[in-house]
Amino acid sequence: MGFLNYTFDWSVLWRHPYGNMFIKGVVTTIHLSLLAWMIAVIVGIAIGIFRVLPIRSFRFAGSFYVQIFRNTPFLVQLFFWYFAAPLLLPEPAQEWLYDNVPNYAYWAGVAALGTYTASRVAEHFRSGLLAIPHDQYRAAYSTGLTTMQTYRYVIAPYAFRIIIPPFTTEFLTCFKNSSLAMTIGVMEVTHTAYYVDSFTSHGLETTTAASLVYLCIALCVALFMSFVEKRIYIPGMIARGQ
Amino acid sequence: MIEIKNVSLWYDKNHQVLNDISETIQRGQTVVICGPSGSGKSSLLRCINGLEYFQKGDIIVNGVSVQDPDTNIHQLRSNIGMVFQHFELYPHMTAMENITLAPLRVRKKSKNEAEKKAMEILERVGIPEQALKYPAELSGGQKQRVAIARALAMEPKIMLFDEPTSALDPEMIKEVLDVMIDLAGEGMTMVVVTHEMGFAREVAHEIIFMDKGRMIEKGSGHDFFNHPKNERTRQFLSRILI
Ligand SMILES: Nc1ncnc2c1ncn2[C@@H]1O[C@H](COP(=O)(O)OP(=O)(O)OP(=O)(O)O)[C@@H](O)[C@H]1O
Ligand SMILES: [Mg+2]
Repeated sequence: MGFLNYTFDWSVLWRHPYGNMFIKGVVTTIHLSLLAWMIAVIVGIAIGIFRVLPIRSFRFAGSFYVQIFRNTPFLVQLFFWYFAAPLLLPEPAQEWLYDNVPNYAYWAGVAALGTYTASRVAEHFRSGLLAIPHDQYRAAYSTGLTTMQTYRYVIAPYAFRIIIPPFTTEFLTCFKNSSLAMTIGVMEVTHTAYYVDSFTSHGLETTTAASLVYLCIALCVALFMSFVEKRIYIPGMIARGQ
Repeated sequence: MIEIKNVSLWYDKNHQVLNDISETIQRGQTVVICGPSGSGKSSLLRCINGLEYFQKGDIIVNGVSVQDPDTNIHQLRSNIGMVFQHFELYPHMTAMENITLAPLRVRKKSKNEAEKKAMEILERVGIPEQALKYPAELSGGQKQRVAIARALAMEPKIMLFDEPTSALDPEMIKEVLDVMIDLAGEGMTMVVVTHEMGFAREVAHEIIFMDKGRMIEKGSGHDFFNHPKNERTRQFLSRILI
């Protein structure tokens, strides 16, 4: 059966029961990625701050985290969260998990993607903080601002603008990486494409559809970020339209 | 007004940056500090408003000990203006916002009041028309005058300048020095780290030469330039007064 004999049947994308599967897949991709991204930002900013604190043990903990998560393959981390992490729990907790969390794979995916992306966010955040000269802090303090005020009015808005472009990239990568959750059985959109193909043998249509979903998400994110950049645009700060 | 008593500062155990510095500066005086790179000029200036912690000695500003745990350091700093070599304007704020931030947040002035005062000061430093520009849209000389205006907006009793003209093109140095000469003339107490010897001759009540963390020589402008006592001072002067 060559390419020429292939008859397209796009209806596999909406025909019952596949249509519902796709919708569920898209929705799963979106909320899995968004949850992971929230973890990534919160943990990442905390770890990023750890890495610049003047306290040695915090700096050590921060760089330990970053080294572990950045220097092991994401796929291995995913397997760790799915297969190994539950075994590290005490037995009653394991049992509770098996009885009460039927979609454990989903949560393992969120945890893996969140903690992995956090290590990358942490590095961007740290380099954003380090890019601000010491004298900038001193200038703020010298006018009598407190530490909190200095971070709130001066350092945070400054660092935020430095890190917007790399944050956008990480946000997009987070969506794309979510497709790997299929390896532990999460029914996100890539897995759905593969699954529907296994019943219908219309993989061309299903993978095209999955690709378009990622493309649409990427475009939406890019549009949103350029809107944000325009809103906070300040002469001489972030480079626009790269 | 400023009493520096036997101050010594180490950045780490075997790196002494200030070595037994003592100096008294009277109200309304301008003191110029010069010396080679790394001699501790900036560090000394930062000790005066508590931006640097020193291990030995004491500094009393207006009767208040800078490192006394009971001292409200934010309040103390708000009465001491500081100007930096690289301006350190907040890049995400307009000139006006840079100037009014501390009056609004530290002095809790109303926006109207703070902006009115800011305009007066901008007029005084000669750039009222730049009020709504961002730092990146200003020339070096204009940036430094905004930085001076930001310090003056807190109505400080003392002004500290750390090489305010070293990062400027020659044609812009004068516009900044003129503002500083005016301030000195109005009786502001000033400590100025600079190698602008013309400025020192014109306004300094005392000139201090520092080398390797020590005050090697101090004297009135006339004595300092015409009868330097120390060999190092003579060498230094011969190099910068060509
Ligand atoms: N925050 C810091 N941590 C560690 N060492 C520092 C710090 N700031 C300055 N130093 C070191 O202390 C010494 C004195 O620095 P300082 O900036 O006070 O000298 P300076 O006279 O102002 O020099 P310059 O003319 O280059 O500005 C230098 O050797 C410098 O490397
Ligand atoms: Mg210096």
